[in-house]
Amino acid sequence: MNSFNKILAIIVLTLSQNAFAEVAVIVNSANSDDINEKLIKKIYLGKAKAFPSGAKVKVYTLPNSTEDTEYFRQKALKKSNSQFKSYWSKLAFTGKGTPATELDSAADIIAAIKKDPKAIGFVNVNDVNSEVKVVHNY
Amino acid sequence: MKCISCVKLATAATCLISMFSQAEVNFSGFSSINVGKVLSGTGVEHYDVPPTFLADYPIVSAYTEEWDMAPESLFGLQITADLSEGLTAIAQLVGRGAEDYAPEFEWAYLSYEINENWTIQAGRKRLPLFYYSDFYDVGYAYVWMRAPADNYTWQIFNYDGINVMYSTDVGDWSLATNVYAGKEDDDDNKLLGDFFFGDKTREIWKDMLGGVVNLSKDWFETRFTYMQYTNQRYIGGEQTMWGGEDSRNGKFFGAAFNVDFDDWFVLSEINRLDLEFDGNLDTNMVTFGYRVSTFTPYIAYSSMKQKGDGVVDGENHNTTSVGLRWDFHDSAAFKVQYDDVKDNSHDFAVAGDSKSLSFGVDLVF
Repeated sequence: MNSFNKILAIIVLTLSQNAFAEVAVIVNSANSDDINEKLIKKIYLGKAKAFPSGAKVKVYTLPNSTEDTEYFRQKALKKSNSQFKSYWSKLAFTGKGTPATELDSAADIIAAIKKDPKAIGFVNVNDVNSEVKVVHNY
Repeated sequence: MKCISCVKLATAATCLISMFSQAEVNFSGFSSINVGKVLSGTGVEHYDVPPTFLADYPIVSAYTEEWDMAPESLFGLQITADLSEGLTAIAQLVGRGAEDYAPEFEWAYLSYEINENWTIQAGRKRLPLFYYSDFYDVGYAYVWMRAPADNYTWQIFNYDGINVMYSTDVGDWSLATNVYAGKEDDDDNKLLGDFFFGDKTREIWKDMLGGVVNLSKDWFETRFTYMQYTNQRYIGGEQTMWGGEDSRNGKFFGAAFNVDFDDWFVLSEINRLDLEFDGNLDTNMVTFGYRVSTFTPYIAYSSMKQKGDGVVDGENHNTTSVGLRWDFHDSAAFKVQYDDVKDNSHDFAVAGDSKSLSFGVDLVF
């Protein structure tokens, strides 16, 4: 009975963790650009440097080690953390691109995006608030 | 000469950084700690070369029958000063085991992003000849222990000059192009001096003019390149003459095709250097790899063949490799590779046949 409860608890925990691992891509609420999955991928791979309106994009990311970052890279970019890092080290050490600015927490990302109409970032869906605009959920 | 221009550039970059005191300065870097040895090899008896595996031609990373950590280990530090408004000053210092870790400026340039499509750069940069040329030192960025040695045999790998980059979308494709022009005057060329001529060699590549076109889409990427230059050379202080002239022209053509589909990938390159009085130096390589969670086993084949009028027994060697990359950490990878080199030339034998084992850790920070 005891071990059954434990197993049940583990299953519930695992399920809820998966449910929490949803990530929202967010921009400034004044941003009216049409930002789709393709553009998000290009922005995070350094292939697009501006929004369709022409504004130069400022890219933010959560730290490497977070589950949300790993989930976002896998879902949105189809790359594991090490594939992503390997890809970016090629660009960063040859003068072809500047990697996304890393901020410590979802609150920091939201604060930065709230201030900058040209910024883009991603946070866990549970951290989203009305101060920013969600353009895509993964 | 090379060092003086490095110092000048570094000083200029430092001045610029201090002028803009609000500049945001970032440090990043990469490192490789590798070890290897020749398991068995023929060497080249008629040139007094003992059993050797020449793993990196440009910096003459040569393994022998003793375990050695020096040939390919390196430490690189990049300093990026963001001066805002699209202007950045970037310098990269690399210390190599093959050169007793004495740090040298491999890159020192200014980059100005005019808009989201155009960027102009000036200063000292890596020469982007082959696909992997400009990130050759960043082992973490590719799967093997090293970019295929048979292919990456050029003797000049930096230039002082200007580079203009343009990138845009073409339908669903991403296009990245650049055009560059410059010069390199290396007064003590390691590959030519230490390995080929046995005497101090000054190698000059001037009037370099080149371009790169890179097209990518999801799982496919292709790159085409062309570069032309004028070569001058002094061996032991004496200028080399080619057919009564003190210079000769070289033209480099290259194409790369990479496919990355789910867990499979294929990397390939075809290149030709058409060099007056040396015929055509053809280099090809192909690699197959498969990712299984954090493990990436791969097999690779690369070759270099010199052909053309008057070339009877030119440079001719190839390498078959098998290896494994293990991403044991977010920023570090362990790699192990076995290389089987066949050197088929007599007069232009480089290091003879060899079978070697090497392994190490590549990381970025």
